[in-house]
Amino acid sequence: MREIYLSGYSNFIIPFMIGMIFVLSWCAIGAVRIILQLPADDRKKFFLSLINPRIMLKNIRDWFCDCLFHVKLWKRNKLLGYMHSSIAFGWFMIIVIGHIEVFLYTPERMHQVWYPIFFRYFVAVTENTMKGSFFFFLMDFFLLVILSGIVLAIVKRIRSRFFGMRRTTRASITDLIGLYSLWSIFPLRLLAEGFTADISGGSFLTKSLNTVLHSFLSDQMNMLPTWWAYSIALCIFMCILPFSRYMHIPAEILLIPLRNAGIKVRHARKGIAKLQVYSCPGCGVCIDACPMSAVKANIKDTTVYLNRQIKRYNERRIEEISDKCLLCGKCTAVCPVGVEGDKMRIAQRSLRKYNLAPSYANIDENILISRCNKFVNTSNTNVTSSKNQKVIYFSGCMTALTPAISKATTSLLQKSGISYEIMDKDGGICCGRPMMTAGRIEQAEEMIAKNTAIIKASGADTLLLSCPICYKIFKERYDLEGIEILHHTEFFDRLINEGRLSVNKEDKKYAYHDPCELGRGCGIYDQPRNIVNMAGKLVEGEKNRKESICCGGSLGSLTLSFEKRKALTENALNNLRIASPDTIVTACPLCRSTFNRYSDIPVKDIAEILDEATMKRKR
Amino acid sequence: MKEIVVIIGGGIAGLEAATQLLKLGYSPIIIEKNDRLGGHVARWNRLFPDMTPAKDIVDDLIASSKDANIFLNTEISFVNRLKDSYNVMLSNGISINSRFILYTTGFRLFEAQKKEEYGYGVYNQVLTNADLENWFNTDKDKRISGKDIRKIGFVHCVGSRDEKARNSQCSKVCCITAIKQAIEMKEKFPESEVFCFYMDLRLFGKKFEDFYTKAQRDHGIHFIRGRVSEVSENINGQVIVKAEDTLAGKPLKVTLDLLVLMSGMVCNPDSTKAASMLHLPIDSDGFLQSSDNVFHITSSPRKGIYYAGACTGPKTVPETLAEARSAVLDIHSEITAGKK
Repeated sequence: MREIYLSGYSNFIIPFMIGMIFVLSWCAIGAVRIILQLPADDRKKFFLSLINPRIMLKNIRDWFCDCLFHVKLWKRNKLLGYMHSSIAFGWFMIIVIGHIEVFLYTPERMHQVWYPIFFRYFVAVTENTMKGSFFFFLMDFFLLVILSGIVLAIVKRIRSRFFGMRRTTRASITDLIGLYSLWSIFPLRLLAEGFTADISGGSFLTKSLNTVLHSFLSDQMNMLPTWWAYSIALCIFMCILPFSRYMHIPAEILLIPLRNAGIKVRHARKGIAKLQVYSCPGCGVCIDACPMSAVKANIKDTTVYLNRQIKRYNERRIEEISDKCLLCGKCTAVCPVGVEGDKMRIAQRSLRKYNLAPSYANIDENILISRCNKFVNTSNTNVTSSKNQKVIYFSGCMTALTPAISKATTSLLQKSGISYEIMDKDGGICCGRPMMTAGRIEQAEEMIAKNTAIIKASGADTLLLSCPICYKIFKERYDLEGIEILHHTEFFDRLINEGRLSVNKEDKKYAYHDPCELGRGCGIYDQPRNIVNMAGKLVEGEKNRKESICCGGSLGSLTLSFEKRKALTENALNNLRIASPDTIVTACPLCRSTFNRYSDIPVKDIAEILDEATMKRKR
Repeated sequence: MKEIVVIIGGGIAGLEAATQLLKLGYSPIIIEKNDRLGGHVARWNRLFPDMTPAKDIVDDLIASSKDANIFLNTEISFVNRLKDSYNVMLSNGISINSRFILYTTGFRLFEAQKKEEYGYGVYNQVLTNADLENWFNTDKDKRISGKDIRKIGFVHCVGSRDEKARNSQCSKVCCITAIKQAIEMKEKFPESEVFCFYMDLRLFGKKFEDFYTKAQRDHGIHFIRGRVSEVSENINGQVIVKAEDTLAGKPLKVTLDLLVLMSGMVCNPDSTKAASMLHLPIDSDGFLQSSDNVFHITSSPRKGIYYAGACTGPKTVPETLAEARSAVLDIHSEITAGKK
């Protein structure tokens, strides 16, 4: 390669440099601010994670898989996945190969940051270019990959249904500017390189373009304006980037190591929460996922719009959106970049100041302790269980309101001969989850402390729960060392496997509904399905497991009225009825009672169908 | 030829309307989906406030309407609208042409198992108002007959005035029915203690208030203002009711031998189905929508279609009978106006 210009400089690089300096300084300042906003212990955790080779490897893998290859999107939607990864990975490769070219042919220019971007303008091909044709080919190949992605992006813009997306976000004006400048960058680059292909060399794309449009492209008068246009398009894109959804590109790069360091959302608007807001690409995958979208008016209350309102500091709408959410967690489950819509909303709720702060500290837990100390007082010889398992069963308020579940559960415990004690048979203390979801963490902690004291004093070794809402907080927030916390689906699945419950399969079709808190909340998908398969024939809803649709009864929403939940429940029921089951089975008392009100086919808890299908214990 | 009037539903509204139409010289046709006439009232034992036997009323109505054409076990397959009349196709293959259709499709009792917290269908000793009337009639119910019943509870507003249960309307008759049944139970089990859990008592009808006073003064029935929060069962099969006494401002827990749920009136899905064949409007509470709720409660927005009784909302027996007569008078006026 031979250099044409001694200075290695031309005026058209100025717009590019302005954009580059602007965006880099913006991102650097932003990154420093976010890291400073982290609580001190989180910050320490983050820095320590950077020297941990295992986490660092995971970071590198995630950077490639998430930022460049968009693996999560591929899994969800192949076309969308190709569109994103072709642009992201293609562009990344063009930058990398550009630098390799400069390093190989004009190493003295490495310090000029614009050089790799506008390389073809500054060099001419020489005899030893055969060596370079490999890189020329790669450059053209990746440019083609990007261009194919951009064609798809244009198609998507016109018809999003073609990509299987029912609804997509409405782009703001800055998003549109970013979008159009991004689309124009690569065709302009192709054109600009087409001009120089006969001088600087090129491959199948640029060379052919140069040959085909020879009369136009060989006119040197047109060359400089094209390079200027290419540089200006880059400048516009980089300058608009911080104010558009394309901010997700740099934000995600920082989000990945923070997430891998195990940093959780603590403040709704600072640190990682802020970073998540900026990592939102506005793709709108959460719109179709959100159970509230069954009613069109609720579309603007989905996570992508929450992020947009947070960026705009529209406090009224931020509160509205945060309070309305059912906290089913589906947006978090499907989000390709890992925005935690449910956690952000809880954090936002916890920012609210209340005039009244109820205290639960004066509840006397000693009465409750004295009511469930069976395992402390009796000697172990009385315990019928072969394994001496001592189970304390916390039914919780929702199960108290659906006595069919607690009755079936205790019946199954008796059938399997397990020694058990009911923790709240005569009233108990709330698990704390409703307060937690309302963002009132102090009040929740008071209840957690009292329940912990009761459970530890009971002498039990297993805590059994039939309500996934309770289960989640017991798993996540309680410190019950030495006591195993089990949802009844896990517990009964284990009993069946151990042969302590003998189940008679019934000739019935059961559609299993994954409760949000049990499935997405705690990752329990298989145990309930095993039980249902033992008791009858399991059929699935159209959307199931991670994609299961919230029943609409969730405690999560603070403002959604019963009237407005009706459509959500009916939508969720239709999803379950697709395989025409005889009975809808769920594992959450709240889902059960919500569905029961609207369903024309019976709705039962998994404990009920298991109890019906289980024989008396053989002695 | 005598003018034909199709009456959908052979409950008391349908029977009364048929009686009056016969008197006026028309030819009513009653279409009843069950194998017997009299609807919900035929299953009841005695009616408030005078303790009139329900059987007497139903028997009288059946006797006075016996000249009507009555199709039992029959449903409507479809209805076609002709130029100025309707063609009604029945499930038994008969087709009727008529200028008038009277909807007396009534209501359906709220399914008490949908209020899961009260444990109907889960706990043995929980029954509904309809179960209790059935016991009054037949004396056959393992939960009551031959048992030592000492404490009885009545829960008002089960599935009524309850958004969670999808019914925000008041069922009108449950307050007074609960009082009636409480008195009857007290008469059957004089040693027992009876509790009524209510939100507020809506005793609007003639002699209702006297009935309420009598229940407290003469029968010593306890009225507790507050909704039942939770019902559980003890090892003896008794039900434990937790409620809040909002007048005393205290939570309350009682152990009962019997808990009676006052299931409310909700819209009848068959009524909705029959209405949808003619695209008749349905109100927000699910009942049929009258053309207006003050002046034309028995008229539909469609010519020749009339309503009577609980198909447009919860009604008492006298109100239902009055509406049946009123609807017949509307039909009569329309026929005679056409002849002039």
